[in-house]
Amino acid sequence: MEKRVLSVLLVMLIIASVLTGCSRSADKAEPPESSQIKKGGVLNDYLEDDPNGFDVQENTLLVTYTLARHLYSTLLRYKGDTLELEPELLAKMPEVSPDGRTYTFELKKGVKFHDGTTELVADDVKFTIERMLNPNGRGMSTWLFEPILGAKEFMEGKATSLEGFKKIDDYRFQIILEKPYAPFLHNLAVPAASIYSEKLVKAAGDNWRLNPIGTGPFRLKSYVPNTEIVLEKNPYYFEPGLPYLDGIHYRIVPDATTALMEFENGTLDVCTIPVNEYQRIKDSGKYEVLEGVALNTYYFLMNMSDPMWSDVRLRKAVAMAIDKEKLVQALYGPRGTVAKSFVTPGIPGAYEEGTGPAYDYNPEEAKKLIRELGNIGKLQAWQRGGDRLSDANVAIQAMLKEVGIDLEITIVEKAAFGDARSKGKIPATHGNWWADIPDPDNYLHTFFARTNQMSSGYNNKKVQDLLEKARTEVDAEKRKELYRRIEDIIIREDVAVIPLFHIKSLLATQKNVKGIIMHPTGINIYTYAYKEIQ
Amino acid sequence: MIDYIIRRLIFAVPVLLGVSLITFILLNVVPGDPVVEMLGKHADPAAVEKIRNQLGLNDPLYIQFGRFLWNACRGDLGKSFKTGQPVTKMILDTFPTTVKLALSSAFVAIVVGLTVGIISAVKQYSFFDHASMIVALAGISAPIFWVAVVGQLIFGLHLKWLPISGYSTPKHIILPAVVLGIRFAASIARYTRSTFLDVIRQDYIRTARAKGLAERAVIFGHALKNALIPVVTVIGMQISGLLTGSILTETIFAIPGLGRLSLWALSNRDFPLVQGIVLFTAVIFVIGNLIVDISYAFLDPRVRLQ
Repeated sequence: MEKRVLSVLLVMLIIASVLTGCSRSADKAEPPESSQIKKGGVLNDYLEDDPNGFDVQENTLLVTYTLARHLYSTLLRYKGDTLELEPELLAKMPEVSPDGRTYTFELKKGVKFHDGTTELVADDVKFTIERMLNPNGRGMSTWLFEPILGAKEFMEGKATSLEGFKKIDDYRFQIILEKPYAPFLHNLAVPAASIYSEKLVKAAGDNWRLNPIGTGPFRLKSYVPNTEIVLEKNPYYFEPGLPYLDGIHYRIVPDATTALMEFENGTLDVCTIPVNEYQRIKDSGKYEVLEGVALNTYYFLMNMSDPMWSDVRLRKAVAMAIDKEKLVQALYGPRGTVAKSFVTPGIPGAYEEGTGPAYDYNPEEAKKLIRELGNIGKLQAWQRGGDRLSDANVAIQAMLKEVGIDLEITIVEKAAFGDARSKGKIPATHGNWWADIPDPDNYLHTFFARTNQMSSGYNNKKVQDLLEKARTEVDAEKRKELYRRIEDIIIREDVAVIPLFHIKSLLATQKNVKGIIMHPTGINIYTYAYKEIQ
Repeated sequence: MIDYIIRRLIFAVPVLLGVSLITFILLNVVPGDPVVEMLGKHADPAAVEKIRNQLGLNDPLYIQFGRFLWNACRGDLGKSFKTGQPVTKMILDTFPTTVKLALSSAFVAIVVGLTVGIISAVKQYSFFDHASMIVALAGISAPIFWVAVVGQLIFGLHLKWLPISGYSTPKHIILPAVVLGIRFAASIARYTRSTFLDVIRQDYIRTARAKGLAERAVIFGHALKNALIPVVTVIGMQISGLLTGSILTETIFAIPGLGRLSLWALSNRDFPLVQGIVLFTAVIFVIGNLIVDISYAFLDPRVRLQ
């Protein structure tokens, strides 16, 4: 009797599950009509750090830049996911004088700040630039506006007004540079160059950093420190119909594993995928996986002023001992590509992908060079604390061991590392560079010019002169030639840096999230993003 | 009693002064410039100098320390280098969250730890005793991040009983409180068992039993209070530790507490914030120790507060 009851129950269960299965597949088989799908919704996203304020002039964190892209606007921006600039707050692209020093700008008319009444005018641009350079202010990204005529005097407090800014009328102005500086327009598209309202900033006083009022597609609705940031659609946004999203709800989730679990749980709509989870997430088929080109180069840098690394034969041996193909495949699989140059391919003036002056893997030649050098002792390199580079460092260490180089790698706490880097005291390091702007100057001048060398210890006068010449050269073809020559000397002749690989950015989204732009500068644009709402 | 408390508080002044001085020296000795950390990869010398001047970091060290002390005496711990917000406000904003987490996990730990410890002692060498002490050993040994992730996976992602992270409802506090409480419970259980075993072998317990008292009355009326004295010390120290923040738990569960603030302040070399947090932590420990000492007198009348 009991067996019969059990059999009946089992049959009923099977029928029920088949019916449920059928109804689910029926749901899947009939997607809603496209006219029924609405673009909107609130995007649930997360940030690893709390920005602790929204004044992008005071902070250089990536999270602050990300939020600035939603809250404020810049004079210029990038077109979609390309590296091409287009006007954002400007009515048209600026006119540049033949000598490359004078830029004439015209603002869009009728651009309103989030309060709906304050209109953007040329004085706001002047105020923004002077606020960044103010010697008594907290502007951190002074490098953006330093090429402007009179910036130095203004920063030193010797001038009360920026000489290189000329207002023509409320919507037109000129910026005059001290000398031609080719990447200047790119500087104006960096989120730290977001335009503030003079009236609103002065009215807010010390409250400004927590109460931002910009012209961006979203405005701040609420902020709970270290917990969440809620943005809502800006009803006064100057581009009609945008943004599509009703808002963005950012939670502060510092742990990557926790964020991934929240994403898989459906409580987050977007998640940066940890490298080791990429295949599993992609294969699950439950999510959209976005892959974006990113402006980065992972490298091995040796401090040339350190006696330990001063012999070019040793640096050459290191360059030839690292099997980059194997390294990138093991660490990043299809997400990575071998680097042949330091400047990321795709940037105007950079080598094309797959070409460049870097040495190929040649362990025999490396062994020969090491034999020539004799006893080189134990070499030292540092790893920046908090960077997820241990796997790569272990692999590099093992590859160097194969050719007879004994490399000891010390993990140094990040603030101590930063301090040592600014003083040029790091012996060698495997690191990465994520470009601020798509220009070779941002890579090569930063590492190999006379100042701020990122501890490269580089001191080749010829290259340093070429770097100064290249940043003032306005002819694109001539600049390209100059940067190729510079890279050839730095990478091939001096072996001051070993470019290893470039990696793509990965982002997983829920299936109903569309329209996110993953820009190569590492900032995701949500102006055109939306959730499909039925 | 009041005299004792006042005296203890007066003695706390040199302790707090010493802690502040040591923290100040350490912050200035360890490598890592707060301004370079703020400016990141664009830390050129001119920009570094401008910000250092604004923050008063170019002043002689004794002036910087004197300024900190003078302001601290007036209840002002300065402003955070990184955010420009008053340090006192930043600490007081995060402290209530940490208090909730600490008290919740302490509640879990004390209830579980004391119960398991007492039962294990009373039923020494039983299956329960062996099993609970093995679990307690595992609880002490298991890394907290591992316990946290396993908890998130099981109760958050798969069973969906509890939120994976966050801090918006009381439900959010359950998992982190249990994760944090487990290790604490394990040490309380082992401590309670060992002190309880010592106490129940004492003559006065044998006498109580010989008088014909019920086992319940012997355990709770005579043994428990005496066995609790060393346990209270452990609990007091642990609660003080919990109140000053649990960095790992707060980070994994995205809880905006004092632990996360401490880590953030340290990694950014935010000197005023680090000094403020250390001073605040020292005050918590001083008060915690005082409460523990006072509670001895209540537990054991033989202990007189001198």
